[in-house]
Amino acid sequence: MQVLDFSQKSPYNFVELGNASLKNTIESSHRLRNIDLPTNYVGDFNKLNEHEFIANFDGENLDMIKLAYIDEKAHIFGLDTSSIELGETSNGLLCAVRGTIVWKDEVKYNYTRYGPFIFHVTENNKQFLYNKLRQMYFGASRAAPTPDVWCMPGRIRNILERWLQAQLSQSCEDSVILWDGSLTAWTIDSPVTLIDDMLRMARSRGNVVLAFSKKTKFTIFGRRIADLINNRNAPCLLDLDEIIRRQYGNYLCFFGRVYAAKLTPSQFSFRLDVDREIERETGINAVQKLISNDIVVESYPETLRLAHILSRFSASEIIGMQRLIAENFGIRTVFRPNIRQILFGPYGGGLINNKVIS
Amino acid sequence: MMQIYKIDANTVQVICCPPEDVNRGDYLLVEDVNSEKSLIIQVINSGYVNVPGILEDILRSSSTEKLEGVDLDPLEMKSFVNIIKDAELFTCKIRGALNKGKVSNDVSWIPPRSTSRLRKLPDADLIKLLENEPQNGLDIGTLKGGGRISININSIDGKLNIITGKKGTGKSHLSKLLLIQLVSKGGICIVFDINGEYINLGYTKSEGRTSLYDRFISLTPGSDFKVTLQYAGLGVFLRVMENILDLPATSAWEFRRIWKDLKERGALTLNNLNSAIRAVSNNYIQDALLRRFESLINTKFFTDDWGEATVLEAVMDKMDKGGALIINLRNINSKFRQIVVEFLLSKLSQLLENWGLKAVFLFAEEAHLYLRETYWNDIVTRMRHLGMFTTFITNQPDSIRKSVYRQADNIFLFNFTNEHDLEIVSRAAMIDVETVNIIARQLPPHYCLMLGKVLNNFPLIVRINSLKEKTMGETRLFFSDLKIKKS
Repeated sequence: MQVLDFSQKSPYNFVELGNASLKNTIESSHRLRNIDLPTNYVGDFNKLNEHEFIANFDGENLDMIKLAYIDEKAHIFGLDTSSIELGETSNGLLCAVRGTIVWKDEVKYNYTRYGPFIFHVTENNKQFLYNKLRQMYFGASRAAPTPDVWCMPGRIRNILERWLQAQLSQSCEDSVILWDGSLTAWTIDSPVTLIDDMLRMARSRGNVVLAFSKKTKFTIFGRRIADLINNRNAPCLLDLDEIIRRQYGNYLCFFGRVYAAKLTPSQFSFRLDVDREIERETGINAVQKLISNDIVVESYPETLRLAHILSRFSASEIIGMQRLIAENFGIRTVFRPNIRQILFGPYGGGLINNKVIS
Repeated sequence: MMQIYKIDANTVQVICCPPEDVNRGDYLLVEDVNSEKSLIIQVINSGYVNVPGILEDILRSSSTEKLEGVDLDPLEMKSFVNIIKDAELFTCKIRGALNKGKVSNDVSWIPPRSTSRLRKLPDADLIKLLENEPQNGLDIGTLKGGGRISININSIDGKLNIITGKKGTGKSHLSKLLLIQLVSKGGICIVFDINGEYINLGYTKSEGRTSLYDRFISLTPGSDFKVTLQYAGLGVFLRVMENILDLPATSAWEFRRIWKDLKERGALTLNNLNSAIRAVSNNYIQDALLRRFESLINTKFFTDDWGEATVLEAVMDKMDKGGALIINLRNINSKFRQIVVEFLLSKLSQLLENWGLKAVFLFAEEAHLYLRETYWNDIVTRMRHLGMFTTFITNQPDSIRKSVYRQADNIFLFNFTNEHDLEIVSRAAMIDVETVNIIARQLPPHYCLMLGKVLNNFPLIVRINSLKEKTMGETRLFFSDLKIKKS
């Protein structure tokens, strides 16, 4: 089994566009027409906006699938990305994105970390940035509506994440690929095709894509899904696919078969989506390969946990990036007073420090 | 870049980011750009700034320690993050101020945090502040940056000095350096050499003679250093008998009578004294006197032969252009050491009182081994006024009385790691406890924290110069031959 060197691939356009935005060299002529969007718009699988499913079922028996540890070697790949706001400028915001691919061979864990890529997003350049990235990475020819400036870090992060997912789909063979999030999308969004392509590419090379969602909550007749699976012996899966699709199939596009997964005897269980286009048994076998080849703690794979840890920005990295921006690009972040704190002082509740970093 | 973080009383906290070449002991200047005033502060401790999230960073890197990987970091952000992680926090003490370029003690003001400019004081500027004049001083060492440090001779002349530090840190080395330089400047010095390590200072390491060879006179009590009874005098002899040999008062009275009688008859010799004591009718007194007298005779320090006797005045005359009298106390028992020191201090006091000597620099190594209780205060008060300027050298700081520390003008502090020793020094030293506790603990061998008038009251870490003279201070080793063969 061959593991490709991911360090040979780099999202150069992230660097170029990021630097251009910091140098403020993106011409206004590049700007696309500004379209105002509702802020709750859910685009390309934005995992921050995964919704809670409330599923009703009429006393049907849920299919419990008992998993076994198998003696079959497999490479496990996981990836995660993160974005962070570095501060405000007089005309926009500064943000950084970073992504990491982690894989476990027979001996050890390895990683390739991409970034950080820093962007200066303004009202003037946000459309150009977003559409240019979409065009370069998704081959999207049609300009898409851009969200509010404050949503842009998440959008740029999503593009990086999709690019990394595509790299894995194209590069791996006979492996288990772990995505962070779900394989569900709102049908109105164009990247549906992209996801479909990526999954097809992965399948064609013998890979199985599993998506772990930490955030999605299922409620069935008012009971959390965790309550249904907690009494079962781990490792096991609870097949929720039929119930969920019956109720949400008209609104959502399910690229994955939906399970609740309890992979270790612990209090946690997660939503697990397995590529729908592969056979059910092959999908379940991929989960068995995962638990047999990766370390699983609290029902969560170590590969994904490491990808998350390596992607996340620490406070000192944020300060370091602010210093980098100030020194290399002469951009200073500005301090915006916290109105809530000024008005209510200690009685304001919530976070004392807002997102602005001076 | 350095910035003020906090000022609390005498302590200034400075943040340095990115890290600069500033070490503990270095001086910084905090310039108030709005006025012509600056604060002179000394870094006594350094650590890392408590950057938000640093704990998370460390834990995160420990979680991923066993990972092998590649970072595609096109902006080279890591170097910037490392700068933040390595940002240093200096704890500094205010040592003085500069007002219109002149050193001032007025530190009642604080410089503005927002606009003050901080910079490391280069050696040249620091030496200027210390009013250090190499041409007139004793060249004793260098600063870390290489700047030469010399001690103004006036800061040693008439002063009480203490050299202390643990074994093997270079105390005796500094003491020898001071001694040689004082001698070369014409000073007259006396050394109580407890380990016989000063006796060859007239020689180079290759056994040749130094230019100061003739100025070093070494005397070994009982061998080439003997005195007659007349020269010692009744006062010294009685003090030895009473204070060192514990002669009871009644017997002392009898001894005084015998001595005076023999002196009046011009028959004050050891033989006659012996006979006179044996003739004492009271057996108890006779026995008490005889035992003590015999122990004195056994030291061979006293003689009737003027030819082999030493006369201190004559020795001092030989040192009219400066010199050092080394009293070799090595291999001499404790009582004998005390007798010799008693004699010498008494004689020196007489000489100084009578202006037979203008002044003398006394170097006393491990003085607690031979200095009588009552002499400590005498040395730092009366004798000092007479012109005896003492330098105590010890590795046991608790052997020196607190009153002596308080009177000390200069302290040369070498490395100490023992908590107890540090506590004693810090309680008695002329600067804050924190400075002593932190800096003294981290001084490498031959580095010394100088405190006091010697450097215009600016504590300074100085690397002591090496000596070309033969010092003999090194410990004899059993396996030294083996070591030589191997090398």
